[in-house]
Amino acid sequence: MEFIPNKHGFVEIRLESIGGQGAYSVGQMLAQIGVEGSHLHAICFADYGSEKKGAPVKTFVRFAKDDVTILNYSPVNEPQIVAVFHELLFKTQPVTDGLHTDGILIVNTDQTPEQLRAMYNLNVKTIVTVDATKIALQYKTKLNTAMLGAIFSSLNFLDPTLAADAIEKMFGYKYPHLVEPNVSTFKDGMEQAQTHVFTDVEAGIAHTRKPTPFGYETQNQGGEIAGPNSYTKNLTASREGMMPEYLNEKCIHCSNCDNVCPDFCFVWEEGVDARGRAQMFLQGIDYNYCKGCLKCVEVCPTQALVSMVEERDYADAHRVQKPFDFLGGVK
Amino acid sequence: MKPQIDVFKAGNQMAAQAAADINYHVMGYFPISPSTEVAQYLDMMGVNGQHDIQLIAADGEHGAAGICYGAATAGARVFNATSANGLMYMLEQLPVQSGTRYPMVLNLVNRAVSGPLNIHCDHSDLYFALNAGWVILTGANPQQVYDLNIMALKIAEHQDVRLPAIVSYDGYITSHQKHNVKVFENAQDVREFVGEMKREGYDFVIPETAPVTVGAHMKGDDFMNNRYQLEVAQTHALRVFEEVAAEYEALSGRKYELVETYQMEDAEIGLVILNSSADIAKSAIDKMRAEGKKVGLVRPNIVRPFPAEALTQALKDVKVIVMGERADSAGAKGGNLSHDLKAALHDANMTTPVITRIYGLGGKEFYASDAEAVVTLGYDFLADETVEKFGYYGVNPGDSEKGQLIQRSLEPRPVSDYVTGKITTTFNEEKNKVDVKVPPLRMLTSKPKRLVNGHGACPGCGIFSGLELFFKGIEGEIVIVNQTGCAYVVTAGYPYSSYQQHYVHNLFQSGPATLSGIAEALFEMRHRGEITFADSATFVMVSGDGGMDIGMGSAIGTALRGHKLIMLEYDNQGYMNTGAQMSYSTPLGNRTSTTNVGKVRVGKQYAHKDTAQIMAACNMPYVFTGSEAYPLDLVKKAAKAQWYANNVGPVYGKILIACPLNWKSADHDGTNVVKAATDCGFFPLYEVEQGLTTITVDPEAKKRVPVEDWVGYMGKSRHLLKPENEAILAKTKAEIERRYNQLKAKHDSEYL
Repeated sequence: MEFIPNKHGFVEIRLESIGGQGAYSVGQMLAQIGVEGSHLHAICFADYGSEKKGAPVKTFVRFAKDDVTILNYSPVNEPQIVAVFHELLFKTQPVTDGLHTDGILIVNTDQTPEQLRAMYNLNVKTIVTVDATKIALQYKTKLNTAMLGAIFSSLNFLDPTLAADAIEKMFGYKYPHLVEPNVSTFKDGMEQAQTHVFTDVEAGIAHTRKPTPFGYETQNQGGEIAGPNSYTKNLTASREGMMPEYLNEKCIHCSNCDNVCPDFCFVWEEGVDARGRAQMFLQGIDYNYCKGCLKCVEVCPTQALVSMVEERDYADAHRVQKPFDFLGGVK
Repeated sequence: MKPQIDVFKAGNQMAAQAAADINYHVMGYFPISPSTEVAQYLDMMGVNGQHDIQLIAADGEHGAAGICYGAATAGARVFNATSANGLMYMLEQLPVQSGTRYPMVLNLVNRAVSGPLNIHCDHSDLYFALNAGWVILTGANPQQVYDLNIMALKIAEHQDVRLPAIVSYDGYITSHQKHNVKVFENAQDVREFVGEMKREGYDFVIPETAPVTVGAHMKGDDFMNNRYQLEVAQTHALRVFEEVAAEYEALSGRKYELVETYQMEDAEIGLVILNSSADIAKSAIDKMRAEGKKVGLVRPNIVRPFPAEALTQALKDVKVIVMGERADSAGAKGGNLSHDLKAALHDANMTTPVITRIYGLGGKEFYASDAEAVVTLGYDFLADETVEKFGYYGVNPGDSEKGQLIQRSLEPRPVSDYVTGKITTTFNEEKNKVDVKVPPLRMLTSKPKRLVNGHGACPGCGIFSGLELFFKGIEGEIVIVNQTGCAYVVTAGYPYSSYQQHYVHNLFQSGPATLSGIAEALFEMRHRGEITFADSATFVMVSGDGGMDIGMGSAIGTALRGHKLIMLEYDNQGYMNTGAQMSYSTPLGNRTSTTNVGKVRVGKQYAHKDTAQIMAACNMPYVFTGSEAYPLDLVKKAAKAQWYANNVGPVYGKILIACPLNWKSADHDGTNVVKAATDCGFFPLYEVEQGLTTITVDPEAKKRVPVEDWVGYMGKSRHLLKPENEAILAKTKAEIERRYNQLKAKHDSEYL
């Protein structure tokens, strides 16, 4: 993409990621390269929530020509470019919200642009896909520099030869040994990106801000919450490729896993043991909440829990749902 | 003009850069978002010798302000940065600093004052500071943060002012957004601009100079005159601002007036607005101008002293003033600055109507389109004078259907759900100890967790495995109080809660006190027959090691008062919720974001705090340490803790938990690393029951592992294995050994 500013004079980019993937670093590198290499003005920032690694986070980069002082410090709601660092985010976040239909969508996935478009019913002119996770595994790096490469593959107003320098600046001070593998990750990301331009794109819907349902008439006074409700969340997007596999036949139901699981994913049921006494039995894992830390695999004495590379749809198929006692039996 | 270079940096970096350029003597600080980065950047520069500022990590903001005050009385140049509740906690110290007339510079990175807790930008903290007697400068963007920081010191130290100064800028918006900015190429130019610290003619506490007394108390006759001196100094500060701004313009080419005006020449509507929103609003002004609307904008660069004349001058020709305020003084029908402005207009015999809208509280986004809507209210008022002069912009009534999430959706669990009947605790009179019987832990999986699923902690976080393992040992209901920290933030973020039990959050310093109040109130109401609840109800205050630093006083007070409750600390050796700053529990030499590893300093400079021994010295009935690496041990201790909390008095326990993100250890190694901490002797598992110490997991009974095994798990400490850090590792080992041997002696003797 050339430097074609929107009606406000900006080129705007939004990076959709989960905390810990290094999207903010990518935003900073993009902005830095634009400022230093292409003499653009830029601002770069992330939406700072209170959630941690594994939680969705947005990073924003806003570019303008160097005769424009950027005074718009607000989040990017109508980006020309969106990069999605984690495909699972399509399930939990409105990642393409407000994206210009003639813009660019860059996604970390093992699918092709055509497949991705069909899967998520995407309405954007240019789709770029790259298997950043795979590239990163190969170099033992984070996938963010592969995504940086894919972003560079579609932007020609930034000079890719400056990326190595930006990576050096980012890692060189604290982690010099990471510079070289990250440069390789970047190059592979750029080379392996697949781009498809679609011609049958429909007119887009303008972005609107949605008001919170928790208004001054509907919030409980003082912000009180009546009982637990976080069980309604889906945390699967916190996993970054690995997950535990449960092999029931090897399990001795020792509960070591239950003792160390930070996310209470193990589902137990009372049953009767061989001697006819009441005893607790592990049923399986509620993958809806599993963040893939694999602490359970470490403490399992019988290898009934082993680590596996997450396969598409495996979690849904093997999830043992945690039972909840819904009020009045109503979900 | 002096040579400058272009950089791409955020507001906090610019505040740190200005401080490094000035080369302050001392910064006393305590981490609080979003201001913490200022100290982090300075530490990063400091460990590589880029400045000589002594960075002192205080025990809380009150302590930080005390350090700053002390340093200022000693004649040092002093710097600090804080936000929101940090400012609230140091508020008491601010008038001391101004009233005794010791200059310094404090960066106030604006954030909403809790509660409900909110980390994002508004000006409620700034408004609390308005009456502190400090000069207050206000900036809209990172460039201004840099410039105002350099100007602030010179204004503060001016002979006609001699007051401390605040530089206020917007949290996250200005503090964290990276912009194109200019800085001086040579720090020397900044140092020449602010000049050498002048000590002659002022009273400082410096040995071998003529002794002075600072801080004598005064009666009213004298106090009145002291305050009047301060008022006079504030008045001088307006003129001094203009003088310093003129000098700074010559140095930098950037001009600062008391108030910035934008498109005000022929404006009929004038928007008055502080900080970053003024920049955002400029594009709304441009758009409206293009539509032929005569609108303009005024942004003060200083709010204390209040630039009354400059403001009324700037606004003298407008028909309506629209005031956007990012904080309210509830009940006053206008934030503080609206009233300041209205008073100024009154004194200038102006009757221009002022429309005030409170906007953007707690970081609610304020877009250019919002600025346009607010400015348009001026025209609305001209057309129809019944338009409300005061109101909130950006509130909505809500949607009761979609808002159902906050209403109860799960059946409240009966207490019996939490009683397995398989744990027994009996007091053994002979041993003066509690005997505990715990079944195989498998059987306790029938007991529901106290939290439901869905908290937002990092993958592999040790907090919740640690807490829930402890709770497995408690039979019956618990009431939980959290001090601010990761455990709170990820479990109770509106509109979500993970708690199946009663739960209260309160800020740092106040968790133990809050739980004391809850417990005593419930006991009293039960005593009067107003309510009933089982004796097994157990009160648990959960805190991180950070909360036990800033809240040490509250915890000790609670321990000494003898309330029947448990204080449970999860120790992850740092202020992880705010971005991994050092805590007093951080081990020697460890890397944190405020104890970096560099050429002149390597990690934390002193050994970790032994909180368990501090609490044991309060002579509580039961103190313990535990970890998920030894689950049966922890569950037994929980059962004992419950017995003591139900029957005798306060309990304190410390659970070491892994923080993979900030320990830079593998997510899956959480249990392994805390196990190694125990097995190497760093974190011995023991209890102090009725004053008698027992080591419950003896690392020597098995094979004690080398300290290197533990240190090697974590990126934050792995550098200690390098040959150049041999001395730090040796010191670490010696301290571990010394403390362990002391503990063993206590284990062996009933008199220790």
